[in-house]
Amino acid sequence: MKTLNIKKTAVIAILLGVIGFAFTAAPDRITVKGSDTMVILAQKWAEVYMKSNPSTAVQVTGGGSGVGISALINGATDIANASRKMKQTEKDKLKARYNTLGVEVACAKDGITIYLHPSNKVKELTIEQLGKIFRGEIKNWKEVGGADADIKLYGRENSSGTYVFFQENVVKGDYASTCQTLPGTAAVVNAVKKDANGIGYGGAAYAEGIEICKVKQNANSPAYLASAETIAKNQYPISRYLYMYLRNKPTGAMKKYIDWILSPEGQKLVVEMGYFPVK
Amino acid sequence: MDFCCIKSKQTVEMKKNIWILFVVISLSAFTAKAQTDKKLEEKVTELNDVVNGINERLATSEADLSKLTKIKVSGYIQAQYQNYENLNTQPTNFFSIRRARVKFTYEAADGVKFVLQPDFAPGSLSLKDAYVVVNDHWSKTFSLWAGKFNRPNYEVEYSSSQRELAERSLVIRTLYPGERAIGAKLEYNPLSVPFHAQLALINGNDGLTINNSAGANLNATDNKDFDNYKDIMARVTYNLRLGNFGGLDFGAHGYFGSLKSMALKTLSSDYSTIKDAKIGDAIKRNWVGGEFQLFADVLGGMSVKGEYIAGKNASIGYTPVAASGTTAAVPGVANFQNNFSGYYLYFIKNLGKRNQFAFRYDYYDPNTDIKGKDVTITKYTSADATTLKNRVSGKSDLATSTFGFALHHYFDDNIRISLNYDIVNNEKVGTTAGVSNLMENYTKADGSVVKNGLDYSKNVNNNMLTLRIQAKF
Repeated sequence: MKTLNIKKTAVIAILLGVIGFAFTAAPDRITVKGSDTMVILAQKWAEVYMKSNPSTAVQVTGGGSGVGISALINGATDIANASRKMKQTEKDKLKARYNTLGVEVACAKDGITIYLHPSNKVKELTIEQLGKIFRGEIKNWKEVGGADADIKLYGRENSSGTYVFFQENVVKGDYASTCQTLPGTAAVVNAVKKDANGIGYGGAAYAEGIEICKVKQNANSPAYLASAETIAKNQYPISRYLYMYLRNKPTGAMKKYIDWILSPEGQKLVVEMGYFPVK
Repeated sequence: MDFCCIKSKQTVEMKKNIWILFVVISLSAFTAKAQTDKKLEEKVTELNDVVNGINERLATSEADLSKLTKIKVSGYIQAQYQNYENLNTQPTNFFSIRRARVKFTYEAADGVKFVLQPDFAPGSLSLKDAYVVVNDHWSKTFSLWAGKFNRPNYEVEYSSSQRELAERSLVIRTLYPGERAIGAKLEYNPLSVPFHAQLALINGNDGLTINNSAGANLNATDNKDFDNYKDIMARVTYNLRLGNFGGLDFGAHGYFGSLKSMALKTLSSDYSTIKDAKIGDAIKRNWVGGEFQLFADVLGGMSVKGEYIAGKNASIGYTPVAASGTTAAVPGVANFQNNFSGYYLYFIKNLGKRNQFAFRYDYYDPNTDIKGKDVTITKYTSADATTLKNRVSGKSDLATSTFGFALHHYFDDNIRISLNYDIVNNEKVGTTAGVSNLMENYTKADGSVVKNGLDYSKNVNNNMLTLRIQAKF
C-alpha cells in the first residue's frame, strides 16, 4: 500500500510538472550578454528598440563571447553575443543542459582591425607577419620595415571571441607570453595610443584616434583597410560575422526583437556604429 | 646739518642693510629652492625606482598568473537520501555521499593536457581519471589519450553530473563497471565534418571480479592487467543537423576482448554446451551496439536518446584443488560465456529554464539463451562433480526492466536538486506444482529471517527513491 502511494505521488508530481512548466511563455524582459566587441552595438540596438517598444526591457552586458555563451548554457542570459562561432564543446554542453542545438543568428559583420601608434612608420602588414609578431617570432619593428624598437603587443583575454578568432585565423599558434592582455577593445586602443611601439587588434568600431594598419593576405597581394566595400567583396583578409546565439527558436518578444535587428532599421544602426551589415 | 647728515647716513645705512637683507633672503630662498628642487628630483627618482620595481613585480606576477591559468580545477559533490523498497535491504533508507570529486586539468602547452580526478567519497579514496591528451599540431584532427579514462560509449562518457537519471542503465553498469579503463586511445575529430571516431586499446580487466577457489579476487588491483590479452574498443558517431527542428546524433560502438582462462572447461549460456579449454586460453567477450540521440527544438527543447547492445560476455572459473592432508578437495568451476542483450530509451523535456523532466526505460537480459521459466530447471551436470561443479541457472540469468522518472530543479548555475524514482521489474521464473522455482530468504530490520520471503515467480520489489542535491563548480 505504501509502495503504491509513493508511485502515485511520483507520477502525479511529474505530470503536474510537465503540464505546469512545458508551455512557459517567453518573457518581455530580454537579457543579452557576451562579446565586448559587440557591446556598443548591442546597447545601441537595445536603446533604440526600447524607445519604440517600451513594454520590452532589453538588458545588455559584456564580458566576452565565452562568458556570454557560458551564461546561455547556464540559463543566465537569453541571448549570447559572440564574435566567434560556438565551439563543439559548448554545443555539447547546451545539448546536455537544454536538449537543443541552439540557434545561430548572424547579425553583423566586422573586420578585425590592427591598431598602431600614429608615429609608427609601418603602414601595412601581411597575415604571416602579423602571425609572427603575435607569436613573438618577430620582436623588432625594423624586421617589418619600421624603426629599431621592440614591438609591444596588446591583446584580449582568452574569454574574448576576438582573441579566439584572431588566434585561429592569424596567430595560428600560442600568443607570445609578452602579449599584454586587456579587458576590452577600448583598453587595447587606449594602450596602443599611449605606446609608440605598440600594436593591438580589435573591432573596427573602436578604432578612433589611432593609426589603422592595412592588411595583406600575402606579400604579393594588395593591402586593404577594413571597410564596408572591402568586407562585402571579401577583400579584407580578417573579416568575420558577429553572432547572436539563442537556446531555442525565438518566440514572442524575443522573435520581434531579433526580426527588428535584422530589419533595415536594425542594420542601419550597424553601419552607424562602425560595423558592417549582414545584408 | 648734522642732523641731516646723520639722517642721510642712517638712510644709506638702512638701504645697505635692506640690500644685504634682500641678498641674504634671496640667497636663502635660492638655496632653499635649489634644495627643494634637489629633494624633488630625489623624490621623483625614488618614486621612479618604486614604479619600476612594481612593474617588475607585476611582470613576474603576471608570468606566474599565466602559468596558474593553465590549471583548471572543477568538481562536484552529490549528497543524497535514498529509500529502498527491497525487503532485503537494511537499512531501507539512508543519507550518503555519492560523489565528491575534484578534477584538475593542466594545459601544459597548446594541445597537451593532463587530467587527474580523485574521488573523495567517505571511507574510500579512489583515482577515477588520470590521463594525458596530446593533440596533433598539423591536421588538428587526431588526439592521443593515455592513462585511465572513460571507455568509449555514450552513456559512459556522459558525465554523472549531467545525467538525467540517478544511475546509468543496467546494461552499461554491467558491461563497463566503474566506467574507466586503463589503456591508450586515438580520437579522430575532423574540423570540417561532424564525424567522430575513437579507437581504444585497454587492459579490459577494469572493475571485473575474477575469483579463485578460495574466493579471493585475482583482479583485486586494477592498476595493471590480469592477463596478456588487450581489448579493443571502437566508437563512431555522426552529428546530423535537421534544419530548424534540431539534430540527430547516431553511431555505433563495439567491444572486442578476451579474458585469460583459469579453468579447463568453458560452459555456454544455454547451460548444456561445454567445451575444453586450456589455462591461458582466450575466453572471448565481444559485443556491438547502436546508439542515437535526437534533439528537438520543440516547446523549449526535448530529446530522445537510445542505445541497443548485444553480444557475448564472459566470466572466468578456476581449476580444481586436490585434497591435501586434512584439507578437502575443491572442485573446479568452468568459465562461463553468456549471450546477452540490453537497451535503454530516454525521453527528456525542459520545463522552462530551471526545471527538467526525464523518463528512461532500460532493459537488460544477461542470458538470452535462458527464459524465465527455465531458470533453475536448466543446468549443467558434471560427469565428475568432484573435479567440476554442477552449474544451475539462477537469479543472475533473469532479465530486468526499469522505468525511471526524474525531476530536476536547477537552483542556480551550480546547484541541481533531483528527485528520481525507479520502478524495477524482474523476469518471472516458473513454478513446479504451484511452488515457485526460485525463492530467497530475507532479513528484517530486527534481524529475524523470513524464509522464502522473496518469490521470483512474482515481481520482487526493488523500487527505489532518490533525492539528490548536486553542487558543481
